[in-house]
Amino acid sequence: MPNTPILEVRNLHKSFGNLHVLKGVSLKIARGEVVVVIGPSGSGKSTLLRCLNYLETPSSGEIIFQGEPIDPRTNLKQVRQEMGMVFQSFNLFPHMKVLHNVTLAPNLVRKTASKTAEEAALELLDKVGMAEKAHSYPPELSGGQQQRVAIARALAMQPEMMLFDEPTSALDPEMIGEVLDVMKKLALEGRTMMVVTHEMGFAREVGSRVIFMDEGVIVEEGTPQELFENPKETRTKEFLSKIL
Amino acid sequence: MEFRWDLVWSSMPTLLSGAKLTVQLTSIAVFFGIIIGTFAGIARLSKGPLRFLAAAYIDVIRGTPLLVQAFIIFYGIPGLIHRPIPAYLAGVLSLSINSGAYVGEIVRSGIQSVDKGQAEAALSLGMSNYQTMRHIILPQAFRRIVPPLGNEFIALLKDSSLVSVIALEELVRKGQIIIGRTFRPFEVWLAVAMIYFVMTFTVSRLVNYVEKRMNVNA
Ligand SMILES: Nc1ncnc2c1ncn2[C@@H]1O[C@H](COP(=O)(O)OP(=O)(O)OP(=O)(O)O)[C@@H](O)[C@H]1O
Ligand SMILES: [Mg+2]
Repeated sequence: MPNTPILEVRNLHKSFGNLHVLKGVSLKIARGEVVVVIGPSGSGKSTLLRCLNYLETPSSGEIIFQGEPIDPRTNLKQVRQEMGMVFQSFNLFPHMKVLHNVTLAPNLVRKTASKTAEEAALELLDKVGMAEKAHSYPPELSGGQQQRVAIARALAMQPEMMLFDEPTSALDPEMIGEVLDVMKKLALEGRTMMVVTHEMGFAREVGSRVIFMDEGVIVEEGTPQELFENPKETRTKEFLSKIL
Repeated sequence: MEFRWDLVWSSMPTLLSGAKLTVQLTSIAVFFGIIIGTFAGIARLSKGPLRFLAAAYIDVIRGTPLLVQAFIIFYGIPGLIHRPIPAYLAGVLSLSINSGAYVGEIVRSGIQSVDKGQAEAALSLGMSNYQTMRHIILPQAFRRIVPPLGNEFIALLKDSSLVSVIALEELVRKGQIIIGRTFRPFEVWLAVAMIYFVMTFTVSRLVNYVEKRMNVNA
């Protein structure tokens, strides 16, 4: 089924109590696409991403991943294995060495033998330039290093798709580049990615599509070129004029 | 009346045999307390109906005196089940159940002190709730639980004196027995106090040591 999208979201709503955060979001992502989500603070970008793997339970709507509707009672764990997530605050496990951070989930969830998991982990750590720190503990690493390990940890599950929620926002400026470089590498490999970010350079360079969100809805979407050079909606223009 | 050191020394063997029971009761109670408390603490944070059961258990036990709990178990329940409960079992039961409630609160706050992002990262990798608790949350909570758990152990060492009322010959009860024979309360209670202090002081040093060791490889 080469034409079915890897992910489809239909009319997604999410409220926290009285606060209506997502007000009917629908989107499709094709295999190999790098979708960049931008929008002002509080517009619901994180909430959208977190609904996709049910870290937040949607209030209504449907999320179809690889042709199957996600259902917390049946396939959620399976879906999460196939949908890696990278967080703004890294969330590495501080009580485990870097290597163990990467092997843990394959070991427990995929039941990969320790030796195989370790070899794969070292390869991934090498890919993100962190092989030398395999035996360090996360608190000993810089933010950029931690985030690269977090990316390796997510990759270790061999996900079909990766979610990134502002992966460079918590980093000192001089470390942003090293993380973006890793992400570009993944994009060039043809991985399906959905990235919330304020890094417009990244969006232009590797984004196949940019989605602009405001107040819980998708206001406009298009190729980076279309959206950055020729925004149609006033809200998009206003937002872009503020950040570019 | 002059102070008789010789009485302090001569009561030591008897008192120490009582102290042995005190340590035994307390250790067993803390052991079961940790097991009960871990379940109670996790249950309190769960979403299911067990949450209310755990909350009720913790609130009721912490809201009533240990002495009364021991009375209920030793004098009350045998009337219900028509057979006596041996003093030792009653002592262990009341101390364990009591300790479990306090440990439950310690475990709950330890778990809550672990950043929410930790569980989210684990779940996002496809780990189950159990795996997340077992491999990610509890090991991190444990570091923060050790100091208050040490305090709980010390508190229980002292509070175990209350089960002397159900005829268990732990440290305080042995003291009373010696006084009944010698009529020298000052020397005997002083000796009892000294033994309690040595025990609690040792435990608090031990906890400090463990705490330091854990911080080294954090
Ligand atoms: N768990 C929650 N409980 C209550 N309100 C929440 C919760 N999570 C998010 N919100 C609210 O939902 C709204 C959207 O938040 P969200 O984090 O999705 O925005 P965002 O677009 O990611 O913003 P930012 O760029 O600042 O990260 C905000 O008003 C936020 O306060
Ligand atoms: Mg956000």
